[in-house]
Amino acid sequence: MPADPDVPADLVFQSVFQLCVTIAGAVLCACLAVVYLRKVRVERPAIGVFNGRDIGILVFFLATLPVIYLLLPRWAVTCLLALTFVSALSIGYRNLVGPLRLWLGIGLLLGLNIWLARTMLGTVLGWQLFWLEGDVIMVLAAVAVANLYVQGGMRLQHVAWFALGLAGYDIVFTMVFPLTNALVEDFLGWPLDPSFGMRLGIYNAALGLGDLLVYCLFLVASYKAYGMRAARVALVLVFVLGAVAPSLAPLIINFIDARGDVVVPAQTWFGPFAFLAYLWMRRRYGRERTMREFQLAAPV
Amino acid sequence: MFETGIRQFRMAMGMVRGRRLDTGNLARLVDDARKTIAEFGEPGMDVQQIVDGPAGDPGAREHFATQGIRRTAARLAAESPFYARRFAAAGVDPAKLRPGGLGAIPVTTKADLIDRQDEFRCAGTARHLATRTTGTTGRPAEIWLSRYEIELWPALIALSAVLTDELRTSDVMQVNISSRQTAAVHLNAASCRLAGAACRVLGVVPVDEALDALADGGSTLLSASPSYLAELVLGARRRGMGPGDFRLRGIQAGGEVLSPSVAAAVSETFGVERVGDNFGMTEVIPMSARACRQGHLHHDINLGLVEYLDLETSAPAEPGALATLVMTPFFPYRDCMPVFRYDTRDVVRMLPEEPLTCELSAMPATTHLLGKAGHLLRTGSGDLVTPRQLVEAVEGLPTRPWPARFRASVHNGRLRLTLPAGAVDGFGEAAARAHFAEAGLDVALEIVPDGQAISLRHVRSDLHETTFSARPALIGA
Repeated sequence: MPADPDVPADLVFQSVFQLCVTIAGAVLCACLAVVYLRKVRVERPAIGVFNGRDIGILVFFLATLPVIYLLLPRWAVTCLLALTFVSALSIGYRNLVGPLRLWLGIGLLLGLNIWLARTMLGTVLGWQLFWLEGDVIMVLAAVAVANLYVQGGMRLQHVAWFALGLAGYDIVFTMVFPLTNALVEDFLGWPLDPSFGMRLGIYNAALGLGDLLVYCLFLVASYKAYGMRAARVALVLVFVLGAVAPSLAPLIINFIDARGDVVVPAQTWFGPFAFLAYLWMRRRYGRERTMREFQLAAPV
Repeated sequence: MFETGIRQFRMAMGMVRGRRLDTGNLARLVDDARKTIAEFGEPGMDVQQIVDGPAGDPGAREHFATQGIRRTAARLAAESPFYARRFAAAGVDPAKLRPGGLGAIPVTTKADLIDRQDEFRCAGTARHLATRTTGTTGRPAEIWLSRYEIELWPALIALSAVLTDELRTSDVMQVNISSRQTAAVHLNAASCRLAGAACRVLGVVPVDEALDALADGGSTLLSASPSYLAELVLGARRRGMGPGDFRLRGIQAGGEVLSPSVAAAVSETFGVERVGDNFGMTEVIPMSARACRQGHLHHDINLGLVEYLDLETSAPAEPGALATLVMTPFFPYRDCMPVFRYDTRDVVRMLPEEPLTCELSAMPATTHLLGKAGHLLRTGSGDLVTPRQLVEAVEGLPTRPWPARFRASVHNGRLRLTLPAGAVDGFGEAAARAHFAEAGLDVALEIVPDGQAISLRHVRSDLHETTFSARPALIGA
């Protein structure tokens, strides 16, 4: 089939590259989160279950954090991100490895990332190493936090509302106030960039940590709520609407108005469909399982 | 989850700072605990810290007690006329008090509480509900409680009970204690309400009514005095009822000595693994103590200070010695009519100085209550006989004379035990004497007709509450 002369070849390449990176990040991360749920129990506080108000608080933090990131000096942002990742990794993996290995591992991962960002970004290989090392941190963090929430009582209902809220947030802060765009540009190449990405030639392709987290949450919560049948539906949704659609959207938009620089946020695609999928699952499968019911059905 | 964290933080800060706790916040925490159990089936890690407080850490325990004593004494010195005078007379500075150095302050007695009731009430507190002691050991004392106390205690109890699975939303608690024990009845009903459980307050009604309610009403928890439990066992056996007729999963006894014979019979008849045996006292509420599986009595150190004073010298008791429990509930857990160094006259024996190995080993322990100090008997040979020894020995008779009715006294240096005829009926006096000798009691028996049994020793189940359904129908009235 002949190439469409209206779509530039580099945009096609970039979109396909973005698609590969996004599929790798979203599917790998979400599947690992399910494996974690099946194998590991996260410690939780004596009292407390995730509820609807917690989602409100989460959305509020997500909405304000980017502003804070942009306002703070760079070193303070790095410290804040380091604190976030140290917390996520230490809580998520202290049941899997001993304290010495855990803290050594966290120190090495974060330290190496900061070192790579400061010294290795002069070459494509350096960039690739930087992304690869950062991707490990992002996947580990997203898997841990998703499990922390879901094993803390977050239900599929909460995740669906969360995704829907983020869809609205993404539209507003990409189209109306281009805060997300500013953040993506600002973070590129800085230590602990909260993105899953890779570089090929002059192209960088990346998926935000928040998006990774939502995909993990959706798959893990679906699996916990209704089992493998719902997890399959969720995985298809993550693949099609979380990875494929946002990656290829620039091609379609460019085909319509020839503006290749339009940024299409992933949650705008994923959130509404995730919510509809939740409504469908609830109608089809009924009440969600509690964590206790899940544990009884699939003991670790 | 985030809100729960904030609520826990607020509760912890209130406890550390010693300010009145927000009872609404506590009630919401109970709700959070219920939701946690519903989602996960059990609370998360560190639940023991919430339930037991600083019990596990001796340093923290000492610090907590010192702060509690100073805070409580400072408030009493300013707001309680009785204690303002008492502290001034003793020349103590509340800010310098230490848990181990309270000897200069005389203990408060029940007579103080009865004779000068009004002087115990703190300035600025509004009375809400009065509760009285049952008067089984003399004149009843009346304690006024504020609305704050009435809301605080059930919330604390419910939080602990939900987290330790003592109270579930599916539970139906049947309360067979005297309806006049207003504080205890209120605590049961209100803690059930907070925990989402149902509560059936029956009082000391005829045994058959209580058994019907247990069997047909689906009660899962039962709260009663040991003497009433003994009557329930006899009634159930008379009716041929057994574990299959009940849905009980827990029984709590308190207020009297629970003998091993009655406890075993209660477990067997009602199909529960173990009967909870707690200590509580109107004058020192909300302080309490719990019996462990090894028979120790473990004293609450979160809500107050417990001193163990030697019966002879009133100095801190040494290991192995008999001691009276002297208790001080801390502010902010006691509000309207607090007591400081209240001498309960409940006697315990100090345990040897060895590490405890029971499930409640983090909390300080003594032997179980042996009886009231005024009821101890000393025989000619110098042996001390405690009410617990006597109750256990009498209720251990093969004739099952439950609840134990007896009168004990010392005549010419020998223990004389008066029993109703039914207690030795079919067993014989000689066999009964041998039974008591096996229990370490050399007794001279005196047998009286069964009609005199109740007058020998009053028990809590004597506080009968009649009902129209249990009375003979009135004809022509």
